[in-house]
Amino acid sequence: MRQNSTLIATQRAPAYSNTALAALVEENRVHRDVYLDPALFELEMERIWGKAWIYVGHESQVKNPGDYLSTTIGREPVLMVRDNRGEVNVIYNRCGHKGAKVVAKPCGSATMFRCPYHGWTFHLDGKLNATPHKCGYDDTDFDPEDPQFSMQKVARVESYRGFVFASLSAQGEDLKTFMGATLETIDNMVDRSPQSEVEVVGTCLPYFHDCNWKMFFENLNDAQHPMVCHASVGVATRRVVKQLPQGAAVPKEVEIIYPFGSSYEFFDELGVSVMARGHSFMGGRQSIHSAYAEIPGYMDSMIAAHGRERTEQVLGSNRHNTAIYPSFTIKDAVQIIRVVRPVAVDKTLIQTWHFRLKGAPEEMLHRTITYSRLINSPASMVGPDDWDCYARMQESLHSDSAEWVDMRRYIGREQSEGGITRASGTSDLSMRNQYRAWSDYMTQGQQ
Amino acid sequence: MTATTAVNSAAGNTADIAAIERFLYREADLLDNNDLDSWMALFTEDGTYWMPVAPDQQDPHGHISILFENRAVMAVRAANFGHRLAASMEYPVRCSHLIGNVRLLALDASSGDCTVRSNFQAVLYYREQRLFAGTYTHKLQRVADGYRIEQKRVDIINCDANHKSILTYI
Repeated sequence: MRQNSTLIATQRAPAYSNTALAALVEENRVHRDVYLDPALFELEMERIWGKAWIYVGHESQVKNPGDYLSTTIGREPVLMVRDNRGEVNVIYNRCGHKGAKVVAKPCGSATMFRCPYHGWTFHLDGKLNATPHKCGYDDTDFDPEDPQFSMQKVARVESYRGFVFASLSAQGEDLKTFMGATLETIDNMVDRSPQSEVEVVGTCLPYFHDCNWKMFFENLNDAQHPMVCHASVGVATRRVVKQLPQGAAVPKEVEIIYPFGSSYEFFDELGVSVMARGHSFMGGRQSIHSAYAEIPGYMDSMIAAHGRERTEQVLGSNRHNTAIYPSFTIKDAVQIIRVVRPVAVDKTLIQTWHFRLKGAPEEMLHRTITYSRLINSPASMVGPDDWDCYARMQESLHSDSAEWVDMRRYIGREQSEGGITRASGTSDLSMRNQYRAWSDYMTQGQQ
Repeated sequence: MTATTAVNSAAGNTADIAAIERFLYREADLLDNNDLDSWMALFTEDGTYWMPVAPDQQDPHGHISILFENRAVMAVRAANFGHRLAASMEYPVRCSHLIGNVRLLALDASSGDCTVRSNFQAVLYYREQRLFAGTYTHKLQRVADGYRIEQKRVDIINCDANHKSILTYI
């Protein structure tokens, strides 16, 4: 057992020098410690999750003053709350008195926040309102204006078309610069609404993973896995369809499951596109969602609102999994987002949220919901196979038989134009790109 | 259902309750034995299995659920279960159900169709042992040889918890 004093000293000294951090990422491979070492996870919380723009929630979840949503940024407990002036605030969910979590409910509405321990109260923007029996602070240097006694605001909050992001760091680029070309995916999802507005529907679908958060993120644009990892559900579906009686209608679920069994050639053709800060997406004109049947009334409502040309332009764009590093992935064509909440080096919570295209037929939402149940649910026949492979990596990367994880597929065969680099879909390009960003964040640009 | 009457325990037809209990035990037994093909055959052609994500959830179509499956998806799941190509299926799935507190919520006196609520505990072993508990609400259709399930609603008490993979029907 180490002495306490030694432990404190160890924690204060950086666990990794910048040189050591830079050495974990090579051009075509990464060291296994990025998935395994709790000390690196701690550094990630500080240098990635404490710096980058992290998705918090959607403005439609806090429609009225007092509405709040409780979540985390990295491991910081936060509340997204609309105040009486209509502003959306993101404040730390920590009482300025003894540090208790003030709000335990995942969402709700309040006129003020009150800590259940000693009754300190806070305004909707987090500012201290009152402390009970305040004569106890007379003749002390207690200053109610001192931010340390409030539920403090996080450093920066910005919103793009209703999607609220926050950064725990006072310095850094603005949200639009950070998002770059991924903004077009958000635009595309919102513009698929005849009213150019989306709203969150109901509660999220959480899925707890026994793996490092980066394994989930790397899988988003990994097109080498679907035809292997999701082969069985494709085979099973084909078997069921084959056994249908002559002339029977093919179940609507089939169009959602089938594309997961598409060929290497199909995914190579889709292509993967990457950009600065670790972001990426697959497809563009085409994706695994582009062959869905038309839902009656939807095209008409879009053309009435936007005109035919604009409608075709919007619906002609089909990206699959736009990954906004490190916290957020969006499927514009199916109106689903998944949010990454890292818990520990080998524990990650994924939250799936579903959106209604305002002004569109309700069947569009029903398809969104059906898709998510079939693909993202912890009880689906797709998610659990991904889950299992992440857990297998988390388990066997401990093997001392090797130290490196390979990422060299299609290396050197990329094309770059206008800040976007593109490669065949089954390339490891999106992973290499994520680790370039990881390295930049972790070494703070000082390697 | 027409002419539906709410039935309290005092007015319940005891003979029917015993038959219903036997049916529920048989259904649970098929799940415990991973016999999804036979289990699926207990449902009507348009029957559904529903596991909501929210305790008071009313709508399976416009709100996400953990599971909401029709016969077509049940057939895919039966064909996928234990598939040699599925990574998740390399681990055994073992389950043990216990059902009790069976009570009739509604009975159509003319057809014999009924809605039945029961409490259950299901211990599921998949990679690790987990306990699911809650209520079943079965909408049952009376047929010549017993009952068919129009809907099985499964309200697990931790429906909104952060679940890991759930590999079979509870």
